[in-house]
Amino acid sequence: MKKSIGICFAVVTLLGSLSVTQAKGDGFGEVVKFIEQFYHVKHQGIPLLARAGLKTATTVARISGGPRRQIAEAGSVKVAYFDDQDFRSNGSYVGFKSSMNSLLTGWSPLIQAASPKEEAQTYIYLREAGDKFNVMVVTIEPREACVVQVNLSPASLAKLMRNPDEMGNTITVDATTNDNQ
Amino acid sequence: MKSLSRTPLKSAKLAALAVFLMLGATATAMAQNPRIQTSQLDGLAAKASETVDVNIDESLMALTTKFLSSKDDDERKVKELVSGLKGIYVKSFEFENEGQYTDADLESIRSQLRNPGWSRIINARSKKDGSIEVYLMHTGTQVSGLAVLATELKEITVINIVGPVDLEKLTQLEGEFGIPELGLQGTAPKRKN
Repeated sequence: MKKSIGICFAVVTLLGSLSVTQAKGDGFGEVVKFIEQFYHVKHQGIPLLARAGLKTATTVARISGGPRRQIAEAGSVKVAYFDDQDFRSNGSYVGFKSSMNSLLTGWSPLIQAASPKEEAQTYIYLREAGDKFNVMVVTIEPREACVVQVNLSPASLAKLMRNPDEMGNTITVDATTNDNQ
Repeated sequence: MKSLSRTPLKSAKLAALAVFLMLGATATAMAQNPRIQTSQLDGLAAKASETVDVNIDESLMALTTKFLSSKDDDERKVKELVSGLKGIYVKSFEFENEGQYTDADLESIRSQLRNPGWSRIINARSKKDGSIEVYLMHTGTQVSGLAVLATELKEITVINIVGPVDLEKLTQLEGEFGIPELGLQGTAPKRKN
């Protein structure tokens, strides 16, 4: 999880500038806003157009043994990250999870994992989007967090479903990795 | 006049009977549901050092079956294993210390597994390794679900697989779809209710 969040920051450094990405009414923006309100933090976004053409993820290729290809559909990636802010929940993890589930009506919670001792949480939600799937991954650690939403083809999702524990990390790395990394 | 005055009463009795039958049918259907409810355990999350909750519902199982490759040996094997399954649900809690949960916490799960249709096929207990109980639900002659309740001093895992599944299939699914390694390979049924 640390690696994936770290990569979020590396992408921003590479791009050299920050801007705010806030989609509204699609779940992503609502989750980002909710995290801001719950933890009293502010997010930074990554200009998505700037990412176009940068990404060549190999995760599915590693899983399937096939040629290099990316998981997320081109242009479908939304990323918001929270750097060097306080995400210690002081035991309010259960309330956070419950609120997330209430917020994301229409999304199915695939995996929800938490390590309250380490103040780490991972959530993966899915939603059908035509012939694709929207997948949202939320990772939270004591000092940083990342929200990623991507569109996946059913074939990619089916492969990733075999290992849901690793799915969040795989998607986050895929969504935030570029050729230069 | 008499017959007229009795008609509403008769109707009310019939309506009550219909409601009673409907409630009975609903209760039976719920009792025969291979999907067990685990939300009652959520209160343990506050005391746990690790929690994992995996929900793969029928539509996601269908997707997996449809899109895993038949050409790749590994994927084909998994595809065959999950074919027909309608859901895989896993919930686990790890605790820092012993004594963070009691049998009363597990009763919400065990009470469901005492319902008609469920039969316990494995009940293995050891002081060192904890206990593991495996239950199958039969609907007619078909297996329609499986449940595992595995407990250690500092850990609880509940697995619920909905659909045609057996012990052999479960052992092959260990490590896939969020199902942890249970070490069931070679475990012989020890007790049957």
